[in-house]
Amino acid sequence: MASGNMKDIKRRVKSVESTMQITKAMQLVASSKLRKAKARAEEARPFFEAQYSLMCRIAAETEKLSSVFSHRCEVNKRLFIVIAGDRGLAGGYNSNILKLAQNAMEKDEQPYIIAIGKKSVEYFTKRNYPIAASYTDIAERIKTADAADIAQIAIDMYTSGKVDEIRLFFTQFVSPLVQTATDMEVLPIDSLPSGEAVRYNKVGTTYDPSPDAVFNRIIPKLITSLIMCAVGESYASELGARRTSMENATDNAEEMIATLSLMYNRARQEKITNELNEIVSGANAL
Amino acid sequence: MTEFQLKILTPEGIVYEGKAESVIVRTTVGDKGILARHEPYVAALGIGQAKIRIEGNVRIAAISSGIIDVTPECTSILAQSFEWADEIDLERAEKAKALAEERIKQAKEDKKQLDIAEYKLKRAINRINVATKK
Repeated sequence: MASGNMKDIKRRVKSVESTMQITKAMQLVASSKLRKAKARAEEARPFFEAQYSLMCRIAAETEKLSSVFSHRCEVNKRLFIVIAGDRGLAGGYNSNILKLAQNAMEKDEQPYIIAIGKKSVEYFTKRNYPIAASYTDIAERIKTADAADIAQIAIDMYTSGKVDEIRLFFTQFVSPLVQTATDMEVLPIDSLPSGEAVRYNKVGTTYDPSPDAVFNRIIPKLITSLIMCAVGESYASELGARRTSMENATDNAEEMIATLSLMYNRARQEKITNELNEIVSGANAL
Repeated sequence: MTEFQLKILTPEGIVYEGKAESVIVRTTVGDKGILARHEPYVAALGIGQAKIRIEGNVRIAAISSGIIDVTPECTSILAQSFEWADEIDLERAEKAKALAEERIKQAKEDKKQLDIAEYKLKRAINRINVATKK
């Protein structure tokens, strides 16, 4: 019995070891990719923030203006742009953002979705949501053309009256250990927070050549880079989450191996003791 | 000359942050000059060059689409790309130009492909112009 037990334990140690090799490799890959992605996300952040605060400011000043991007009296249909990862094994990264999006669209009878990332596409296809557009494998090196594409689809849906509100779901990269799933309102622009705006209101900003013309040109650009930055942030978050979860998996595997080797050694010792006992009692009997 | 705070941002990071004396950029309606104490002003930028005067020296740069935002505190240029003339890789720009021309020939039917190729061609030409002008 003891030797059978030992064989079992040995087999388990081996399987845990090979799993650990995989998780360890994934952790290393994720952390080296994370460094690059983090640098890119952080470089893009001032741009993103400047654009977003500009967008908020314009929104606050547009109360007197009318634009196709301003508020509509009734919000019937909404468009959700949901950014998730292309791959799993990233801890709670995918499920957090997808759950947040799912909860937000619960009230809607028929929400429209632009899914970015394989996991996001899979999730919403499985639940039979109408997907207006889907993009996979673009996160690692997002191009302006892709982001502009997505923005254009969203804007077309908005201006044609197909949807009355656009929300963006992405994961904010706070630190390699902390990532927050975020729900951001993109359009209509005047429902954006506008705390900063009041200051410039009295001065009155000049829009060249006219507010409407500037708006129609600026807003697609703002949304394009918003999407670009959001994808960058999400990708860094994904890698951060993957690194952390793979690190945990590796630690767990190490712990398991330690416990199993202890068990193995105990079984081995027990076997030797038994054998000795047998020999001694056999010798005594002679 | 009176200086004012200037910030130039692109998705790749902060290109410049500091004092400037004057800024000339190409907006969608024509060239626009900004000096200190300009009124609050927002305009979209097309593909074109920018002339920025810093401590008496005029520096030229290539911009491809963006936004200029002038507030009392700070003038910000938010550009999709912003390259100083002396940092432009002329060889790469020439290659991009040739590639874009090739694409335009190929993409006769496809309106979207054509638009992208034309945009890339304009960008490449702009960068070549800026780089060779200095």
